[in-house]
This record gives sequence, C-alpha cells and structure tokens, in this order.
Amino acid sequence: MLEPVISNIKDWPIAKLARHQDEIIEDVSEESNKHLQQISQHTGGIRDLIAKALYLERIRIKNEPWDVDPEDENEFWSNIKKKLSSYDPSLATKEEASKIENSLLQLIIKRYAEEIIGSFDPKLYWFAQQTLPLFFGRLLSASNGGIKSIFKSKVLLKDKMFITGPVEKIRNLATKGTLILVPTHFSNLDSIMIGYAMDMIGLPAFQYGAGLNLFNSRIFGYFMGNLGAYKLDRRKKNTIYIETLKAYSRMNVYKGAHTIFFPGGTRSRSGALEKELKLGLVGTVMEAQRMHFENNPVGEAPKIFIIPLTVSYHFILEASSLISEHLKRTGKEQFLLSDDPFGSFKSIFKFFWELFGSSSDITLSFSEPMDVFGNQLDDDGNSIDKFDQPIDIRKYFLTNGVLTKDAQRDQVYTKLLGDIILEKFMTGNTVYSSHMVAFVAFEILKKRYNDSDIFSILRIPEEDREISWDDFVFACNRVRDELYALNNQNKLKLAPHMTLEMEDIIEHGIRNVSMYHGLRPIYKTKEGNISSEDLKLLFFYHNRLDGYGLQKCI
Amino acid sequence: MDMDYKNVSKNTLVGVIGAGSFGTAVANLLAENRRVLLYSRSIDKVNDINKNKVSAGQQIHHHIIATNDIEDFCQQCYLIFPSVPSSNFRSMLQDFAPFLRPDHILVHTTKGLDVNLNTTENIFDKALTFEPSEIQTMSQLIVQETNVKRIGCMSGPNLAKELAKMEPAATVIASKFDEVIKEATLAIRSPRFQVYASHDIFGVELAGVLKNTMAIASGALSGMGYGQNALAFLLSRGVREMIKLGTALGADKSAFLGIAGIGDLFATANSPLSRNYTVGYRIAQGESLEYIISTSSEIAEGLRTVNICNHIANKLNLDLPIIKTTYSVLFEEMEPSEALTYLMSYKNSMDVDYI
Repeated sequence: MLEPVISNIKDWPIAKLARHQDEIIEDVSEESNKHLQQISQHTGGIRDLIAKALYLERIRIKNEPWDVDPEDENEFWSNIKKKLSSYDPSLATKEEASKIENSLLQLIIKRYAEEIIGSFDPKLYWFAQQTLPLFFGRLLSASNGGIKSIFKSKVLLKDKMFITGPVEKIRNLATKGTLILVPTHFSNLDSIMIGYAMDMIGLPAFQYGAGLNLFNSRIFGYFMGNLGAYKLDRRKKNTIYIETLKAYSRMNVYKGAHTIFFPGGTRSRSGALEKELKLGLVGTVMEAQRMHFENNPVGEAPKIFIIPLTVSYHFILEASSLISEHLKRTGKEQFLLSDDPFGSFKSIFKFFWELFGSSSDITLSFSEPMDVFGNQLDDDGNSIDKFDQPIDIRKYFLTNGVLTKDAQRDQVYTKLLGDIILEKFMTGNTVYSSHMVAFVAFEILKKRYNDSDIFSILRIPEEDREISWDDFVFACNRVRDELYALNNQNKLKLAPHMTLEMEDIIEHGIRNVSMYHGLRPIYKTKEGNISSEDLKLLFFYHNRLDGYGLQKCI
Repeated sequence: MDMDYKNVSKNTLVGVIGAGSFGTAVANLLAENRRVLLYSRSIDKVNDINKNKVSAGQQIHHHIIATNDIEDFCQQCYLIFPSVPSSNFRSMLQDFAPFLRPDHILVHTTKGLDVNLNTTENIFDKALTFEPSEIQTMSQLIVQETNVKRIGCMSGPNLAKELAKMEPAATVIASKFDEVIKEATLAIRSPRFQVYASHDIFGVELAGVLKNTMAIASGALSGMGYGQNALAFLLSRGVREMIKLGTALGADKSAFLGIAGIGDLFATANSPLSRNYTVGYRIAQGESLEYIISTSSEIAEGLRTVNICNHIANKLNLDLPIIKTTYSVLFEEMEPSEALTYLMSYKNSMDVDYI
C-alpha cells in the first residue's frame, strides 16, 4: 500500500466536484444545449430532434422496462408529446415554435443530466476503504483454510493483485493534470478491481461510467452512485441523450475529474483484447484538452494524461455468457441482450472464493502515460516527441497560427489516439499460463480440422477432442519460445510464472483456467492427455492471445 | 465544399518542396492565389530561379520566390506541398523534421512508394527481399519521420507540361481531415484547376502510384507501333491489376475508379509527355534501360514502382500478368514482343472479377 497522493479525501477532485452538483447540471445543460443547437442546424431542426427522441423513448419504455427506471417516465414523455402537438409547425410563427421547442429541449436535457450525474461521498468511500479489505480478507482466509478460519485474516486482496508499470510517475502526474485511465474490459468486476488497485497505489478516486442496468440492484447502485460512478444507459440512443452524456463527460474531464473510460464500450464478448474502440466518450477527452488551450491562450494550459491499462485474469466471472453472446452475434442471429445480468451474488462469491483459495491472481499492467496525441511525458507532464524533443501540442489545434475549433479534426485525432491505445493494450498484455494452454489446445484442434469455420470446431464431439500430451507439450514449447521473443521485443509481457518448467506451467494454467467453471474448458484426462469439456470457453480464453501471429507455431 | 477561391489573402505564404517539373507546376498553380516559397536543396538552382524566373523549363509566376533555407521556409509556411521523388522523400523529411511543427499541414504530390532500406541496399537489387508490410506510402512516411499529423495528398491527371501551358485540369485532394482538404483547396483551386475531395488518402495514394506501372506498359505498346484496340485492352485489364494489388495492400476499391485512378491512367497512358510512358516507349524502340536513365533529367517513378509491385505480387502470390511482364521487360531483358505474346496467350478468365 502506498501513501495517498492527496491525504484528505475531501480534497480529491472528484469530492470537490461532488459538492457542486447543481452547478454541474447547469453547465452540462448549457453545453449540451449549445451542441444540440448546432446539430439541429444541419439536421431537421430542434422539433425533429425532440420528435425522434420521443419516438425512441416510447418504444424503449414499452419494450425494455427496467427496475431502475423512474415511475413517471410515461407521464413525462406523454407530456412532451402533448406540448409538441400543441402547435402546428407550418402555422406557428418561428418565434412561437422555437420558444416551445427550446423549453422542451431544456426539460429533456435536464432530466437526462440529473439521471446521468454521479456523486461521491467521502465518508462512504472511507467506510468502504476500511471494511472491504477486511471483508475480502475474511473471505480469503476462509477459502484458504476452511470456513472456520474466517476470522483469521492472513492473505489479503492486495497479495492477489500485481500492479506493474510506471506507478511512481502516474502518482506524480495525478497532481499535475487530469488522468484518464483507459483499461481493457473483460468483466464487470473490472471497475471494482481497478478501483481497489488505484486505492492501493494511493491515487484519488476516479469517476467512471457504469451501465444503468447495474443500478437495478439498489444496494449495489447506492455504493456505485456514491463512489464516483455516473450512469450510462445503452438503451437510450437518441441524439439528445448522447449529447447530454458527452457534455457531462466533457465538462467533468475539463473540470479535472480523473476518469476511467472503457474504450471498448462494453466488455469483450470474444475474450480477445479490443480490436476496435468506441470512441464517442473518449472523444470528449480530446475536446476537453482543446477547451483548455482555448481558455488559456497564453502560458500553460491544464493537461490531460492518458494511461492505458491491461487487466489479466486467469478466469473471468462472466466468460460463459460473454462467449455465448459473441457466438450468437457472429452467427448473425437476432439476439441482443442489453440487460446483461451482473451475475448472481453466488457467482461473485464463487469468483472471489476461487481467486483467494488458489494460486490465482490478477495483474494490472499500466502503460507509460501519454498526452492526448500519444507523446510520452516527462515527470512534470511535459510532452516529449519521438525524437526526444519537447513538443507543444497546443499547435495541433492551430490553423495558420490561430486556435480553431473543428469537430471533425477532433474526431480524427481521437481515432489516431484510439489506434495508439489498441497498440498499448497489445504490448501491455500480461500473458498467463492459462491463456497459453487454452490458445495451444484450441489451435491444435483447429488445425486438426483444417481450419474449418469456428462453428464446426465448436461442435467437435467430446471423444474427438483429445490431444496427446506429447503433441501438446511440443506445441506449448514452440509457443512459449515465440512469447519469449515477443517479450524481448516489448510486444507483450509475461507473468512471472511463465518462467517455470514447461510441465509446471501447463499444470498451473490448466488448474487456474478450469477451477472456476462447472464444465472445464481444458483438463488432463486419466490417460494423461489434454481434452476439453467446453469448447466455447476454451475458444474464449484462447482468444486472449489472438493478434500476435502465434498460429504459425502450432 | 463550396468556396470562393478568389477571395483569399494573397499574403499567406504557401510552401512547395522540390523545384522539379511537377513542383514548379504546383508552385505556379498556388501562385495564382497565394505568395509561394519554392524550396530547392541546390543553392545554385535557387539563385538561378530567382534571377531568371524560370524553373525546370517553366516560367514562374511573380508570386514565387525560391529559397534554400529550410528553417525560414518552415517558419513562414504553415501549408506545404512536398513534391520530391519517392527515392528522396525520406531523406528530405529527415532534413525538414527538426523544423516541422504540429501546426504544419503537409499535402504531398509524390506518386511513389518507399521501402525502408539500409544505405547499402538498392531497390533495384534483384536479391533484395522485403515484406509487403515494409512498404510505405508518402503520407505514412510523413507520420513516421515528423510530428505532423495533418497530412494530405494531391493526385490526378496532372501532367506538368500541360499544367505549364495553362491548360484546364482536375485533381483529387485526399486527407482524413476536412481541414486539410479545405486549406489545400483554397490555396490551389482556380478557374483552370478543379479540385475534388476524398477522405481515402491511402486509396488515392495507391491509385496514383500503381497507374505508373500501366503507363510504362502502354508506352511500350505504342513503341511497338500498336493502336487503340491494344491500348484499350491493356488499360482495362490494367485497372483490374491496380485494384487487385491495391486491395491486397489494404486499400478500398473506390479511389481506383476516380480521378486519381482511371482518370490519371487515361492521361498518362496516352501521353508522350509522361516520363513513365516515355520509358516504356523507348524500351520498345530498342533502347537500353541504362541508356534511357542516363539521358533523362528526372527518373520515372514507375521504375521503382514496377519493381516493388512485382515483389509484392510474388510475395502474396497475386495473379498480375501485366505487372510481371512489364517487370521482365524492364529488368530481365524480356523482349517486348515476347511479353505481348505471353499476355495474348495467358489463360483467359472472367472479365470483371474485381468489383
């Protein structure tokens, strides 16, 4: 555990912002309104924006109601409808129409902003900080030494977490600018693990967007909502909502709230590292940086620092449902779950139980922090270009010497940043024994069946899945050699256990990936060969090593 | 993207790097809207241009000043058009990089490719081997060698000699950034020069590059004395090869069908004014490649390109008979007539199998 960078929780940026919620809602409303007015000029106007939102919202209310939805939703939107039809746009004067439309727009924006906004309660944070490790500690001891040892705390969550990367530098930068953490996303537990890890290294709390579905559970919602989570609702796809969400994100980043963005948008369904990013919210970071330069025309402007983070697990809580969904999507079936259940309390309990009771662990690998253009930073947060020279990134926003606002340019810059983040995910990825054994086993089967399409491979009957031990070890050795080579070229990272004897690595990998699942993705048969009880899961864990060109080793 | 090209400040300086025939033509186009700094690395040439008002055989507009001072050039111009051969492009960027800032906009006009070689390696060395992933377009080179992000390219049927005669022409300016397209268009569009826009910079670059192989081949056809039937045959199958190769390198097809692809192909494949066409023509007339190179003022981009394309075709096992035979004629002493016989007896297949 490291000393907190800012000792008093009340002085954390997120806590300061939480004390001015009304002001934030006002700013967000104004900002969102400004953007929507611009958008409406080259679309069908404000009335059209409202009509589309109304239409989509009524469908959502009817088809996808959630517990967390407020009771007056129907009433609210019926009211909007009534007011919208209270005048005939072809007869009303422009002023009359615009007055009604703008007041309705304000109303909708405000409602959305109030729903989205997150809070932060220093006392609750302090409480969680004190009690959660204790709770985990008890759980841990129990899973290690049986239920009776529940009161003998020995192993701690922090012993199960490995944090690698330039931690000192990140701590240093936390007081010099706004930190934007962009992690890979495999599990809903990510935010808990990351939150805990940030606390371990003494960083102030980060705000992050959590799916509104997670707030369906009241107790969970209470904790999240007061520990920095703001709400995002993937059901709401209308422009007014999207712009309000972006305005919220932009204003908070601009005001200095350290923020976590999962740039993949949702959890990786396939188990592979993100190949493509959803850059909508990340784009608000670029805009916030531009606003800093705009509002500080001379001298230094506040800076925003990007920190990619790759999280490695041996096993993933939701693996089974994630891969099923991935296969259904790629199989082009009409099946989309927007209400993905978090997992029952039992499954979460089992996750921690297995995590603590075994040799399992979690690695959080921070990449080198960078500015919004991917330049490296010195200890004071100054940008250094690839030629090791200082670089003034303000100039990326200048046209012929003048700072200009150009939304399309911001988007292209964001896309370029996204490409760099994807690269960092690959190079920051810590490879575990479990990833390797799953990769090798699945690739051997794939090769055996002449690279047939994925769905035929998943249907291989269990008796035909066996791989001889010798073949398996041979392939593992070749893959490991390649992994070592890639590690030497800084193209990925290896967990310390990857230096064990090959047989031990394989045992370690098989044990860790299979302990959590009812049907084992990979196991050793009585005859000492390798087989699988669940090829979908094997495929899922295999995908983690996709994209490194390791297939050639099989 | 409608804008009034007359109504811009003539006080804004625009830069052109490279005072060859195309660089000079570009400078003259820009000079109708802006004041222009024309950079040449040869101080003698600079002095000569400023004294005689002639560059690469073209009269220069009075808005153009030639310079040899890289630092001052970069200081004064935020919008720069690099126009140097691909063989010198990387070293040019390395010279300019220390002075290029994040607020520079670079729109290059070079229709060539780069392979990152050691100083001892030669692109024409037959034993040389490289992966398709080692090939870069000029915009990718700019990303690699400088801090500039706002990059574009200008490509199209723009024969320098016709531009110098003030004949009308059209071009494509491609960039991911609307801003780059807008700034470059404002600077260069004129009553004699129409500009179209594209966001597919990679496709536009490749289209312009790959058409040079067909320009050489069509020059050879004419050099052998054949007429329009043969030429049309070559060009329509040539478009297929350009698209096959382009998509194998990861480009979209659409740019190949536009001004920078088919448009440029029509111009160069019919014109003795094209250097690439001329190389093919003279080869077919029985001159040796060494002799042609030794008597040309500027080396045709197509020679490098044919070399690189042939290499990729072999590496990726692509079926590109025109490019391969063009390579053989240029570098393996195949007779043009033999090449033609080979193509005429080549297995026939579906007509349009590339869209």
